[in-house]
Amino acid sequence: MTQPAPASPLFWRFNPEVYRLIGIKCKDCGHISYPRTKICHECGSLNLEEYKLPKKGTVHTYCVNWTPPPTFEPPITPVIIDLEGGGRYQGLMTETSTPEDVKVGSKVEMVLRKVTTDRGLNVYGYKFRLVEEE
Amino acid sequence: MRGKIAVIGVGMIRFGELFDKSLENMVQEAYLNCLNNVDKGIDPKEIKAAWFGQWSGGFIGQGTQSGQSLASFIGNREIPVTRIENACPTGGDTFRHACLGVASGLYDVVLALGAEKMRDKPSAESLGGAGSGGGAETGSHPAWMIGHGGPSIQAMHATRQMYELGYTMEDFARVAVKNHHNGMFCPYAHYQFEITLERVLSSYVVCWPLHLLDCCPQTDGAAAVIVCRADLAKRYTDNPVYVMASNVGVDHSQLWDRDSFVEQLATVRAAKGAFEMAGIKPGEVDFAEVHDCFTNTELMNIEDIGFVRKGEAARMLKDGEFDLHGRLPINPSGGLKAHGHPIAATGLGQIFEVVTQLREEAGQRQVKLKKGIGLQHNVGGPAFGVSVVNILSRTV
Repeated sequence: MTQPAPASPLFWRFNPEVYRLIGIKCKDCGHISYPRTKICHECGSLNLEEYKLPKKGTVHTYCVNWTPPPTFEPPITPVIIDLEGGGRYQGLMTETSTPEDVKVGSKVEMVLRKVTTDRGLNVYGYKFRLVEEE
Repeated sequence: MRGKIAVIGVGMIRFGELFDKSLENMVQEAYLNCLNNVDKGIDPKEIKAAWFGQWSGGFIGQGTQSGQSLASFIGNREIPVTRIENACPTGGDTFRHACLGVASGLYDVVLALGAEKMRDKPSAESLGGAGSGGGAETGSHPAWMIGHGGPSIQAMHATRQMYELGYTMEDFARVAVKNHHNGMFCPYAHYQFEITLERVLSSYVVCWPLHLLDCCPQTDGAAAVIVCRADLAKRYTDNPVYVMASNVGVDHSQLWDRDSFVEQLATVRAAKGAFEMAGIKPGEVDFAEVHDCFTNTELMNIEDIGFVRKGEAARMLKDGEFDLHGRLPINPSGGLKAHGHPIAATGLGQIFEVVTQLREEAGQRQVKLKKGIGLQHNVGGPAFGVSVVNILSRTV
């Protein structure tokens, strides 16, 4: 049995990115990424600015995972989201009645949910839920 | 690099669920098979450096291996030995390092050996829990703590291949049918049985759109290659195979940084550089061993290497062009799908196959040689951002 940790260092360290959605945007090539970084992953530029990721986007791709690790209840639906205004976010869908509701191009928004358990502690983060077409 | 390096010996063990063999047992068997494969004989002391491919180390209960492990296993502690880990291309990159060792002029004869025990722990603990992206309770970033592993990452590519290229689950399944057919003729393959399209499509859905039989198995195995200076090769064998090119390509290590999900830039870069190094075009390759960890991945690889244009691989597969006796045989060994995927041994097992084919010693699965050129490819990592391509030929 692993000793419970006083906190999840990973989630503590990435608090600004995970909860306040702070990433970076490259002033040279326009690449948007997170967590914050000092060197643009795309072009190597140091000319970066903080960029708050939007909570809305559309599904770029997804799958329906019937064999996730033991801490997850299958099926789970991992998604890659094209965020409004650029950049991508990797996460899980939530609150779908059936995985078949998710399609490439589905409109989604982030909601704060329990993501997993790290050594006995619940850790929270953003998941995506489908939003009605306007 | 071209013209400088020759393969003089290859050796492996049958891949499979080898509960009766330890890592050391597997390494020693592959090594001895490799020495015995050098037809004019070799004194093991002529090997002046070695590289040990080991992907998972401590993750799945093999302990953390380093160069000393291989040195002890083969009873040769007088030479420099380095461990190589580079995700699923570990085996192919271990071969590359051996080639670089000879090309540098420092060593005349060197060993590349890769081995992996995947089956001592259940799948959920080995692959699922091991990858930096795959772990539920590990990972480089919280965004990875969502249960991702190889199948879910490739399934997200497959979804996009269906959306952008019009590929279908039948198209993916045909890869499994072809590779299982080839694997029947390979005595080293983990799976040596035929499967039908219906059986693939009715197998358990691991990760939609991929079925169980779209996924390669988890496999134990070891494979070894001895390379030497090209001008010394005939001392050791009448049938050397020459290295034309050996290259690694990389891309982003996070999925969200990547642009396309129907193309893996790591492969594109590894292949482009390798073809430039070799001074040949993709059309001059007779056959290839490519990294079909999942069926959809094989189609993507065939396109990314540059054999066909994006979106054409599925139709050409259906037309039989990639069959054992087709225009461009892909994975005559059975591929990862049937031959198995003991990660660090995988690439070296593919080199074994390419060398065996180029020597025309592959028996029932022998492909027809035209130019006498074969290609080996791996791709992997948390966002499939690292790839290796090696090109070998019958003539210098």
